[in-house]
Amino acid sequence: MSEDKRPVSRRQFLNYTLTGVGGFMAAGLMVSPLRMAIDPVLQKEAADGDLTNVQLAEGDITNEPQRIDWEIDQVDGWYESKVSKTAWVYKDDNGDIVALSPICKHLGCVVSWEGSEDYPDQFYCPCHDGRYYKDGMNVPGTPPTAGLDIYEHKIKNGMLFLGKAQPREEA
Amino acid sequence: MLQKIYDWIDERVDITPLWRDIADHEVPEHVNPAHHFSAFVYCFGGLTFFVVVIQILSGMFLTMYYVPDIENAWRSVYYLQTEVAHGQIVRGMHHWGASVVVVMLLLHTMRVFFQGAYKKPRELNWMVGVLLFFIILGLGFTGYLLPWDNKAYFATEVGLNIAQDVPIIGDELKTLLSGDEEIVGAQTLARFFAIHVFFLPAALFALLGVHFILIRKQGISGPL
Amino acid sequence: MHKGKGMKFVGDSRISAERKPNIPKDYSEYPGRTEAFWPNFLLKEWLAGSVFLVGFLCLTLAHPSPLEGMADPTDSGYIPLPDWYFLFLYELLKYDFASGPYILFGIIIIPGLAFGGLLLAPFLDKGPGRRPHRRPVAVGMMLLALTSVIWLTYQSASHVDWESRAEANKPVPPSEQVNIDTDSEGYAVFENNCMSCHGEDLQGGAAGPSLVGIDRSVDEVKDIAQNGTGSMPPGQFSGSDEELNKLAEFIISVNKEE
Repeated sequence: MSEDKRPVSRRQFLNYTLTGVGGFMAAGLMVSPLRMAIDPVLQKEAADGDLTNVQLAEGDITNEPQRIDWEIDQVDGWYESKVSKTAWVYKDDNGDIVALSPICKHLGCVVSWEGSEDYPDQFYCPCHDGRYYKDGMNVPGTPPTAGLDIYEHKIKNGMLFLGKAQPREEA
Repeated sequence: MLQKIYDWIDERVDITPLWRDIADHEVPEHVNPAHHFSAFVYCFGGLTFFVVVIQILSGMFLTMYYVPDIENAWRSVYYLQTEVAHGQIVRGMHHWGASVVVVMLLLHTMRVFFQGAYKKPRELNWMVGVLLFFIILGLGFTGYLLPWDNKAYFATEVGLNIAQDVPIIGDELKTLLSGDEEIVGAQTLARFFAIHVFFLPAALFALLGVHFILIRKQGISGPL
Repeated sequence: MHKGKGMKFVGDSRISAERKPNIPKDYSEYPGRTEAFWPNFLLKEWLAGSVFLVGFLCLTLAHPSPLEGMADPTDSGYIPLPDWYFLFLYELLKYDFASGPYILFGIIIIPGLAFGGLLLAPFLDKGPGRRPHRRPVAVGMMLLALTSVIWLTYQSASHVDWESRAEANKPVPPSEQVNIDTDSEGYAVFENNCMSCHGEDLQGGAAGPSLVGIDRSVDEVKDIAQNGTGSMPPGQFSGSDEELNKLAEFIISVNKEE
């Protein structure tokens, strides 16, 4: 082709238009499916659920962590069910109630108090030998990077109520 | 009769060149175990494809009984394994095939690597191959959850926690995979099923096509 | 006659009416005897494939694919284990330099370097030589990576007691799932003494076997509850004789309902 003064040739124009129309069709096809796929990511975190009576009298809480199981109603999409939750509950030296989540902060296994005979007075995770002190803080040098989550709690009519497990503030 | 049908179609559509290219090429001596037994190392790629075919077939038939729902997934797997004739075998093919395909893929990758067969001009095909490796691993990871037994559930929980540890996008990545911020449940299973049965196989087929076309274009690598 | 005027087509299509013989690509640049892919070589390949298939089917017949009990998110005694080809990654995260504050090292940097290196191998190893001894760095790194993956997998697998795992996690057939009367007095005793190990539905767990499907008499159950058996230590039961009777009857009744 000889020198062409026109900045956009007919062929280029058609190419751009084709790309544009193609993009329009791709967008029209994919916008809704993609939005649907990422919907869970954009969901607002549900408001804190109510605290649940875990059927443990305040007087029964000792200095030794004890395992408490209770049930909550869980809504998983279209599936509603009762799930049992677990906490390790004890009174610390100041007499304050501490309710720790048993979910290991490493990879989500379940820890138990004195779960290994080698480590008395510690929470122990069997997956990767993660350990936590009694206050739920992770033992340095073991896999977990943070202390165990702490349940919101309150005492009403002498009974213990537990809510959601919250990650502890970064020290 | 068959010949006449073939000729009738071929005259109109010219299908002969399509398969003659695949059928007529000569296989060089250095990859033929009939001449050098050590050339059996060239079989691993073909065996990988063979096991992939087994996986596709057995997987297709498994979905006739399988239900991706947390109430029924385990029951349906248990049912097809115990009540359905040959169900145990079909699930066994899919289960063990998943392991065998990884083994074969590893052997195939090692053959290509240690022979330096990825060098110019075959860099692209090597990269397509590594992507195929990732897709197979992804299929393994998503397929592991589907029977919805304890092993599946807890291994997936660990996998999702690893995803969550990824910096910046970790939480979003986990939610995207599991369909819920906290619960590994009904939505997770549905998602993993979709990924395992539709998304990853689609990518697998596309990349496999590229892999094979490149092999035909470039030919097999020469002897060392 | 190949192009333009004079070319004949099938009808008004673009398909040439004249058949050209296909010229297969040959490998004459390679030394030695070549062989047609179809059918000579493919036949041999499929014979080998048949042998492989027979072996594979024997494997599936000899080892039925495992299925554990239905997923129970509340089963806190369960120790997760990924599929064997992810074990090396799982094991890697046990090491100090790949966990805790260095978790990024374990989940991003090491796997990223390994898989990134694999993906970009053709551009990292650019020399012309293909023989392994002419590219010692690439081959050395691959051998190192292979060895560590195999070693990590072995380390992880050797820590697992596969048999007791399989035993403890046997699936409970839906037809055998018993209705447990959680309101009975016996269940209350069970809850206080046995549930932490044997599970709330008597299904067993990491610490104790299932109590469904056992073949024991009332007296045997009483004896085991007090004195233990196998790995179960004595003294697990603490309560009155009356409670012990209720417990034993409860456990036996669960087993009779099947």
